[in-house]
Amino acid sequence: MKDGVLLSVENLHVRFDTYAGQVHAVNGMTFDVRRGEIFGLVGESGCGKSVTGLAIVGMVPHPGRITAGRILFDGEDLLSKDEEEMQHIRGRRIAMIFQDPSAALNPVFTVGNQITRIIRHHMNLSRRDAYERALSVFEAVGLPDPVRIYRSYPHELSGGMQQRVMIAMALSSGAELLIADEPTTALDVTIQAQILDLLAHLRETQHLSILLITHNLGVVAEICDRVGVAYAGNIVEMGATEVVLNQMKHPYTEGLIAALPSPTRRGQPLQSIEGSVPDGLHLPSGCTFHPRCPHVMDRCRDHTPPRVQFSTPYGDHVVSCHLYAREEAR
Amino acid sequence: MHRWTYIVRRLILAVVVLLSVSVVTFFIARVVPSDPAAAWVGSHPKPDQIARARIELGLDKPLYVQYLMYMNKLFHGDLGTSVQTHHPILMDLKTYLPATLELVLVGMLMAIVIGIPLGVLSGAKKESVLDHVTRFFSVAGVSIPTFWLGLLLQLLFFSKLGLLPLNGRLSVDTTLYHPVTQITGFYLVDTLITGNWFAFKDALLHIILPAFTLATYPIGLTVRMTRTSMIEVLNQKYILAARVAGLPERTVLFVLALKNAIIPTITVLGLSFVYSLTGAILVEVIFSWPGLGTYVTNAVLSLDFPVIVSVTLIVTVFYVFINLFLDIVQAMLDPRVTLQ
Ligand SMILES: Nc1ncnc2c1ncn2[C@@H]1O[C@H](COP(=O)(O)OP(=O)(O)OP(=O)(O)O)[C@@H](O)[C@H]1O
Ligand SMILES: [Mg+2]
Repeated sequence: MKDGVLLSVENLHVRFDTYAGQVHAVNGMTFDVRRGEIFGLVGESGCGKSVTGLAIVGMVPHPGRITAGRILFDGEDLLSKDEEEMQHIRGRRIAMIFQDPSAALNPVFTVGNQITRIIRHHMNLSRRDAYERALSVFEAVGLPDPVRIYRSYPHELSGGMQQRVMIAMALSSGAELLIADEPTTALDVTIQAQILDLLAHLRETQHLSILLITHNLGVVAEICDRVGVAYAGNIVEMGATEVVLNQMKHPYTEGLIAALPSPTRRGQPLQSIEGSVPDGLHLPSGCTFHPRCPHVMDRCRDHTPPRVQFSTPYGDHVVSCHLYAREEAR
Repeated sequence: MHRWTYIVRRLILAVVVLLSVSVVTFFIARVVPSDPAAAWVGSHPKPDQIARARIELGLDKPLYVQYLMYMNKLFHGDLGTSVQTHHPILMDLKTYLPATLELVLVGMLMAIVIGIPLGVLSGAKKESVLDHVTRFFSVAGVSIPTFWLGLLLQLLFFSKLGLLPLNGRLSVDTTLYHPVTQITGFYLVDTLITGNWFAFKDALLHIILPAFTLATYPIGLTVRMTRTSMIEVLNQKYILAARVAGLPERTVLFVLALKNAIIPTITVLGLSFVYSLTGAILVEVIFSWPGLGTYVTNAVLSLDFPVIVSVTLIVTVFYVFINLFLDIVQAMLDPRVTLQ
């Protein structure tokens, strides 16, 4: 089973020491991404998705620090690597793209300059070969007229094209894992669908595994094989997309799905989860979801919930919730 | 094409600016209550001498005729004659202007070579020891009085260490035994062209202290501007993206970030350059550097208006061209800037 795992994040903790106090941004995040799959990491704003993504590539922003946990990539412990070793992994084996492509492209260099710089750094190609490779990667991500794109500055391209360029840059050096942090959030709806199709297509053609970070369950339903639902820096429920979206067990997942506008419930008022997302400065004790949970019990207030594992035809389904503690014991 | 039409438009505008400046300075010079004819004749003038000088200098003609005569000469390369020294101004400028330009250019080069890397590193390693030390010196650089620093450097490098010459552009030995052939007036260039290594080394040693004294203020400014804009640029998503793409920190700082951060610095350097053309008087006096600042200051003190007007025009020319140059550089660095 574990053979198929490309990336495994175990009990990851990231803390920001700020003047206001310690912000617990990531608290025990545990999930894995298997080879060739698209794994969705979904959760509300501020639940630590981006910080987790950055932690994987060793780029937790100042003043953040990884305080516990392990990150295994292809069997190697990334947290034990020094900066130089990480530079060989970044871009070459793990690539990352971001929410707002217009901000993630350098405004004063042509797109071609930016991609060839990356290609030449990682692949040791001649100028000519790097140019050829850039054009072929542009073609692979569905950019029309690669030569024109190559000479363009970022502001001369549309948002969708900019995101395709970002994807091209990310994959230009043959990365095996792509971390896509909200890759479609800043784009128009029609463009969103195209970019998702592109990611799904690249997964097939480029032997790629994707960690897709999103707050949008619709995106998850569309292209993710498996999904982990994050709350306050931890995964509360994880499993195959079909299982988590249709037979969810965690009250938070239930709340998220109930809050979705859906054609079958047209006309009914949207539900939303009561209360607000806890901030990392003052995390609730016990189960961090307990102040908002409709099924809250006494032990939820001061006992960390167990990780309960269920077997389904689609593979394991993991839930961190006291409600299922007894079932685990059985 | 687009860029060239812009440049031509700016050049036409430059001519208009220059004409206006010439009119304004010329008339101000004539309105001020001083008698150029009296100055021309020298001390203890007799009335008939003054009257003759007045006719000689064309001062008896109406103002606009005087202006037209002046402009006519100007177009033929005649900047007039100093009323104080009776030297043709053009001849004076041929020594003073290159001397100043050489000094200021070397000073600016120092500001670039020292100020920009320090600013980049200090912005990248905010609050580090390097940053604190750099900031201390950049504040010192903009606040230390020039004359004090100049004298201090002379005391240290000439009197105590004996490493560098005290003042002047060349030592007497050089002028006597390895004279510089004047081609451009820039001694560093002229000696290089003629292969006069002895004089080149001497000129280089002579320019270090005055250029550094002149450069301290621009260095301080450059460090601060570069640091501030680097801090802003380094917070941008594209810098994170470049690091995540595995590019080395050297490239990220000195290529990817610096090209975004350098425009304000270049602007400051350009304006410092123009300012230093006449503003370097203290440095020129301390180091006996025969520059434009000293020249124009003497002219102002003795109300030598032909000189004042000529120097004003020259500085205006530089000012106009530096501004044009800054605009073009900015458009070259940042494709989002359109020239119009
Ligand atoms: N530089 C920082 N300093 C202090 N706290 C930070 C910093 N960056 C992130 N955090 C904290 O980490 C938490 C998680 O942030 P993160 O960006 O990972 O959220 P996210 O799940 O990606 O949310 P979003 O959907 O808004 O992108 C936030 O609540 C924030 O308080
Ligand atoms: Mg985020």
